[in-house]
Amino acid sequence: MSSQSAIEPVSLYVHVPFCPSKCAYCDFNSAVVDVSAAAPQVHGDLRRASAVPERDVGDAYVDAAIRYITEASETGVLADVPTVYIGGGTPTLLGSRLVRLVRAISDLPGVGPETEFTVETNPETTGSELIGQLVEAGVNRFSMGIQSFDDRVLTTLGRCHDSPAAERAAGVLRGSRVPFSVDLICGVPGQGGESWVESVGRATGTRAGHLSIYPLSLERGTALAGAVEAGLIPMPDPDVAAEMMESAAELLELAGFERYEIASYALDGQQSRHNTVYWTGGAYLGVGSGAASMLPVGVLRQLSPAAGQAARADDEWRARLVWTTTVTGFLTGALEDAPMQLETLSPADALREDAMLGMRMSVGISDELAEDAGVVAVMESLADRGLVMHAAGRWRPTEHGWLFGNQIFSAILGAE
Amino acid sequence: MTTDPRYIRNFSIIAHIDHGKSTLADRILELTHSVEARDMMEQVLDSMDIERERGITIKAQAVRVMYDSDDGQTYQLNLIDTPGHVDFTYEVSRSLEACEGVLLVVDATQGVEAQTVANALMAMNAHLAIIPLINKIDLPAADPERVRHEIEEGLAVPADEAVLASGKTGEGVREALEALVRHVPHPTGDPDAPLTALIFDSYFDAYRGVVALIRVIDGSVRKGMKVLMMATDVVTDVEEVGVRRPANEPVDELGVGEVGYLITGLKDPSLVKVGDTVTLAKHGATEQLPGYREVKPMVFTGLFPIDGDQYPELRDALDKLRLNDPALIYEPESSHALGFGFRVGFLGLLHMEVIKERLEREFDLDLLATAPSVEYHAYLTNGEMVALHSPQDMPDPSKLDRLEEPYLNTTVLVPPDYVGQVMELAVSRRATFTNMQYLSKSTVELHYEMPLSELIMDFFDQLKSRTKGYASLDYEPIGYRPSKLVKLDILLAGKIVDALSFIVHKDKAYDRGRVLTEKLKEIIPRHMFEVPIQAAIGTKVLARETVRAMRKDVIAKCYGGDISRKRKLLEKQKKGKKRMKNIGNVEVPQEAFMAILKVDE
Repeated sequence: MSSQSAIEPVSLYVHVPFCPSKCAYCDFNSAVVDVSAAAPQVHGDLRRASAVPERDVGDAYVDAAIRYITEASETGVLADVPTVYIGGGTPTLLGSRLVRLVRAISDLPGVGPETEFTVETNPETTGSELIGQLVEAGVNRFSMGIQSFDDRVLTTLGRCHDSPAAERAAGVLRGSRVPFSVDLICGVPGQGGESWVESVGRATGTRAGHLSIYPLSLERGTALAGAVEAGLIPMPDPDVAAEMMESAAELLELAGFERYEIASYALDGQQSRHNTVYWTGGAYLGVGSGAASMLPVGVLRQLSPAAGQAARADDEWRARLVWTTTVTGFLTGALEDAPMQLETLSPADALREDAMLGMRMSVGISDELAEDAGVVAVMESLADRGLVMHAAGRWRPTEHGWLFGNQIFSAILGAE
Repeated sequence: MTTDPRYIRNFSIIAHIDHGKSTLADRILELTHSVEARDMMEQVLDSMDIERERGITIKAQAVRVMYDSDDGQTYQLNLIDTPGHVDFTYEVSRSLEACEGVLLVVDATQGVEAQTVANALMAMNAHLAIIPLINKIDLPAADPERVRHEIEEGLAVPADEAVLASGKTGEGVREALEALVRHVPHPTGDPDAPLTALIFDSYFDAYRGVVALIRVIDGSVRKGMKVLMMATDVVTDVEEVGVRRPANEPVDELGVGEVGYLITGLKDPSLVKVGDTVTLAKHGATEQLPGYREVKPMVFTGLFPIDGDQYPELRDALDKLRLNDPALIYEPESSHALGFGFRVGFLGLLHMEVIKERLEREFDLDLLATAPSVEYHAYLTNGEMVALHSPQDMPDPSKLDRLEEPYLNTTVLVPPDYVGQVMELAVSRRATFTNMQYLSKSTVELHYEMPLSELIMDFFDQLKSRTKGYASLDYEPIGYRPSKLVKLDILLAGKIVDALSFIVHKDKAYDRGRVLTEKLKEIIPRHMFEVPIQAAIGTKVLARETVRAMRKDVIAKCYGGDISRKRKLLEKQKKGKKRMKNIGNVEVPQEAFMAILKVDE
């Protein structure tokens, strides 16, 4: 089918844009959807519609995802899938439908036991039965958004779980005996230093092997931004968030975690390989409403001749694709004519982006990449400002540089 | 072949801003078939984009239309459209000088406003026939009776025969033209006397050079004549005369009472001045027409390109704008903080805004404007007077005898309920109350003498906001008065930023310094280091604020779906930074330089 000789590793991301409720700070691509409601009628493809007459939204979404993934696999682009990540939204909201999706992915020829297979979850949807079935179907890593163990903070964030629920869910994950990660948010208005330290401590107490620590960012149009504007909640203080990021770094270092990326901490060997693909210029295919892909144009051509044509670029360029289709569009469309936003990156642009993303990580970037991306002079001036350092043939961010990451990233993007 | 003056009517339309002057002019052009409706751009007379957008007229225009009157005669009507803003009072007065009558347009919903009064007074002083026209009568809120009353009470203009019209629907426009024909006197002049013609405006044509708009008083002007511009003492040939309909149409001759254009081939706009008299080079008139004066800028500001490389482009752009706007003056200025730029003089704040906008829009320049200032007069101990256009020109205090600043006669029209608020504002701006009178039950006229420097400090916006938009304002300069003035410096990170210095009354220095440092603290973004902001007179610090050092600047969450969005965010941030000026190692947003204007008191 494909004339390409070398097999390009391509990671797989499946986006499930459904949530049981919308958190106050969230501006991600997700919506509160009753996944067991009847699926919309499929237009223009009566044969397929009549074949599965009684589907609900969740099933229809899973069917569509499986169909796209199968079609993609048939083109040969998923011959080597190093990592799979099912994120959201809240994928576990799909319940047993998610198990079906996981099985279908595990059955792909390119997915094997060495594939890191992560599913994102949240405390309300983490039941032991579901988690057990997912592990059995091939999932070998979970990522759970807990955000805080302080119920007052959880209320401010508009989360629909409380801290006992978080503890319970963490217990379920622990019982599954696969590695898992926990997300925490700092810099929440009303969150004191003690509350933060306690949350970090309790997060490590869950035996999570990986933690993600984010400062709260106020996004326009969210309920939280509205509450701040209305004066109901004080403005998040960036200084407080900075202090909390620093204190988390200290506490987690003591607990044996390595900070391998601005917001990511891992015990030995438990770094997220999937996220590392994003930060090291790896290829990934995104599936689902709002999902993003990053593929060499050659791979894109192999996946979809039409999209390859649209990219109008050489094979060594890269293409970023974002599904702009709605959920309904995703349920009813075909891979070939799904509406996509396409952006092509020249080799030079791609290298600069690799350098920018690479500097999020403690390993930083190699001299070779810095040279190829044309950012050596930029790195030198950032080093003068104490934001980066050079050692053993690599440029790396300093602690200080991590807090001022945007200065590094902008400088790299602005390099001529 | 010139028209018999008996069948000529020269008139102007005067109105407060937004009272519908331009729309009315459009209807007149339509009615006289001067412009085919379907070909017509909205408001032909306001030909600049900015004029159209803002609904104001900056340049005067003249259009000749032919009108078949009810009396069976065809009349030559010359409509001279005047600038509608207080910045351009002199230009208005010259345009009125070219007329025998005016249509005084008053909005049927708004009534008489400050500029209506000012313009009407000017028309009376020029002994023009005034035909009141109450416009926008199609609006539901129209109250023609109240407005009629205001016109009679406030302006002492009989309004029982006021024309009721709507520029929007065209109603009453024909009646207005009939009233003009009947009530405006025809021009009188001596056709056999040597030529005298008034220049009431000029513009620059890339192919033809300076085009003067003129009104012939005596004699006539033809192609090939040798003429003299009396104020500038320039002799030149007449290359072409013609009329604007509104496109230029050459004619053989312009005679007594006629209005048209004159092309001489002169390329330097400063030689063709508004208000000057054109006469014959030989055996011409010996006396200039009265009323000529040199136009002097009132407001000065520094204009600096954000990108220093654009300096030559800024110079070229100013040179080009000046061709059409001889009132624009500029000289090179350099600032430690901002590099090379120009100190530019304007007729007023509106003029300044319009020029800055045109420079940015038409010439694609990114400009930084320093706070506007006025021309202060510094009298030195040796008796010499130095005009200060910039705070940086302030002489050494040891050599300074005294400082004087320009004062204005200010007229504010306001409903009686707001008199208190206006008084309060005026006092805070060092204004001296001179008198007050009721124009009608609903309108009070207040007179103040106040320094121009206070007026340009956001006075108009403050006035509008304190009176819920009801107040209107007019002013005229009344000369210089001694004043206790000091130069206030702003220091960022310990260094004086010359472009932020300003001259202020001694008694207000402390307050202004305090408010400005507070304001700057809000405007200047946090840096990776602490930025102290100080206000000082000489070495004496009056106020101090500190922009705390930023603790973090990072987008912490960045996965596959986020990358493109985050990159765009960083690019946007970067673009924002480009619009800032690096002073030392402090990034200062443009609005910092205008912050002094926004010190609400």
